[in-house]
Amino acid sequence: MERRNFIGKTALGGMVVGSGVTGAGALAAQPGNGEVVVERSIPGKPHKGKVLAVVVDDSPLFCAGTCAKLINEGYTAYLIRTTNNDKSGDGSYGENVLKNEKENARIEEILGFKDVYEFYYRQHRLHSIPLVDIRFRMIFLFRYLKVDTVITYNPRGYGEENPDHTVTGQVVEEASWMAGIPTHLPEHFEAEGVSAQVVKERYYMAAQPGQEYNRVVDIGSVKDRKIQVLTELQSQGNGNMGSELRKKLSAEGKRIPMLGNDNDTANREFARNFLFDHYSTFDGIENYGVTSAERFFYIDKRNTDLESGIDAFINKNAVKL
Amino acid sequence: MNGIHEKMPHPPSIFSFKRSGYNIFTLPNYEVYTDDLKIERDLPGKPHKGRVFAAIQPHIDDVPLYCAGLVAKLIKEGYTGYLIRISNDDLGSGGSYGEGVLRNEIDNDKIAEVLGLKKAFNLNYTNHRMDGDPMLELKTRLLFLFKVLNVDTVISFDPQDMLERNPDHTMTAEAVYRVCWVGTRKDFPELNKAGITGKSITDQYYYGMSPMGFHPVNCVVDISSVIDKKVESNIANANKGPCGHSGSRLRARLAKENKKLPILGNDDKTADFQYIKELLMHDWKVFGEQFGLEYAEPYFWVGTGQEYTPTVQDYIDEHAVPLRS
Repeated sequence: MERRNFIGKTALGGMVVGSGVTGAGALAAQPGNGEVVVERSIPGKPHKGKVLAVVVDDSPLFCAGTCAKLINEGYTAYLIRTTNNDKSGDGSYGENVLKNEKENARIEEILGFKDVYEFYYRQHRLHSIPLVDIRFRMIFLFRYLKVDTVITYNPRGYGEENPDHTVTGQVVEEASWMAGIPTHLPEHFEAEGVSAQVVKERYYMAAQPGQEYNRVVDIGSVKDRKIQVLTELQSQGNGNMGSELRKKLSAEGKRIPMLGNDNDTANREFARNFLFDHYSTFDGIENYGVTSAERFFYIDKRNTDLESGIDAFINKNAVKL
Repeated sequence: MNGIHEKMPHPPSIFSFKRSGYNIFTLPNYEVYTDDLKIERDLPGKPHKGRVFAAIQPHIDDVPLYCAGLVAKLIKEGYTGYLIRISNDDLGSGGSYGEGVLRNEIDNDKIAEVLGLKKAFNLNYTNHRMDGDPMLELKTRLLFLFKVLNVDTVISFDPQDMLERNPDHTMTAEAVYRVCWVGTRKDFPELNKAGITGKSITDQYYYGMSPMGFHPVNCVVDISSVIDKKVESNIANANKGPCGHSGSRLRARLAKENKKLPILGNDDKTADFQYIKELLMHDWKVFGEQFGLEYAEPYFWVGTGQEYTPTVQDYIDEHAVPLRS
């Protein structure tokens, strides 16, 4: 994975900072009107009782901070991985699959996920799998786990080179509403406790430079955990670049004091000072009043315009029978 | 061709079945009999209590025509059975596409009720276009059902039938056959985590297609005691296929011509029943008589394969010697 700098202009133009936070009082971000909502940490557990599914092909790299924040705020969260990561790492296919499995198990622990579900499709080949197969499995999990909120890739994300990201995002998008329709895959309801479930909130990660976002999530309070995740991701990320650099410099008779005297320190400090740049120095960050953030395209399906409009009309016009 | 086989160095190994001609959807026109062919007769009591089968049909008339006898027999012997219909039968006879879909859906439930099946499932793929649907998705849905219903026996079309022309039959047969192999704990780990582990499939009964069919047979099932159930299930299939209310319609037509067939009796219910039993089920009678049975259905039966662990243990028991004398 190469280091990338996000180009900070929002695709929506206008960078008016909203004052909303997640939860019932949040302003629903409307694409096209230029408003970017800043989501800050909320005290207490306002999301207690709600379920979050983080659906990624490999790891929650781009959203680890938001995951930690939402779990802190009461969400029960599950990680769903669509591929087996057989191409990620410098070992054999089998070594890569195992190493990534173990790294994600540790990330699950660091961030506080309740469980991980793995589909194990081959990496970088998701576009060869019939979408309906992946979607069947996704709809089942959304219904079984009773998912309210999902974080995934933007299925229409600009500049996305990785087909696994696009397909994962598309499957999640389709499954998010189909899971709420009882005539879709009714055989799921044979399983105990499984019922139709609409996923009401979607966060699409801005995973590539130039991808649009309308929500900026403040991850300042969970920065250390994000850094921990960055260092953990060694097979598919740059989690061990610090120790690799320290080793290289040492061979040249040099050292950088910041990297410390052991591999863990080197990796952590490298992640803090370089890898974390993506989240702390993107263009325009100064407009949002945050020191570090993850960016998303957020879609709110909790109340449709129609329902809201009808509710408002009833409130205004209903009289006693 | 008469007598030609007398001059052949080997006796024929594929046998043609001479159909009565009353119904083209009966038995395959070619059968191959194995040397380990068994006859499955009625078992007293409920020896299969606790076991579960799934009878899979691409279309609404497939189970009633080809395997309703086996279905009724297994339920009588204690099985819990489920019916899984793969298509929506939108090309089924009668009315518009929508009317056909609805009527066949209603009839599918009736067939399940008549045969004593616990529930009918409809996967609703479009008729005659299943070869356009991904096999992987069909397998996934079937595997889910087999696991959640705890199926240990399946009844389905024979995937080996090289004369099969209907893509729905081919896809269904292939999917079921493959699913009986996959479905380990690791195939769908999310189902395992949800406590949906299912069972291994221990018995597979595959039925052949007609009119053009080529079917290896190693199991002949005696359906004499349940033939009436088979007939009733075909009456319930009113909208599609040769059965349904054909008997009463024939009786009415003959009446207009000032004729009657004594076997059709004096009312519609008798006419429907007798027409199917005496005429449309005739080929299963002829087939059964070859084996000394009143009525029978042919199958290719697949078990789990030989267990090797007990065999190895037997060898150990016989040949092991003390490590130190």
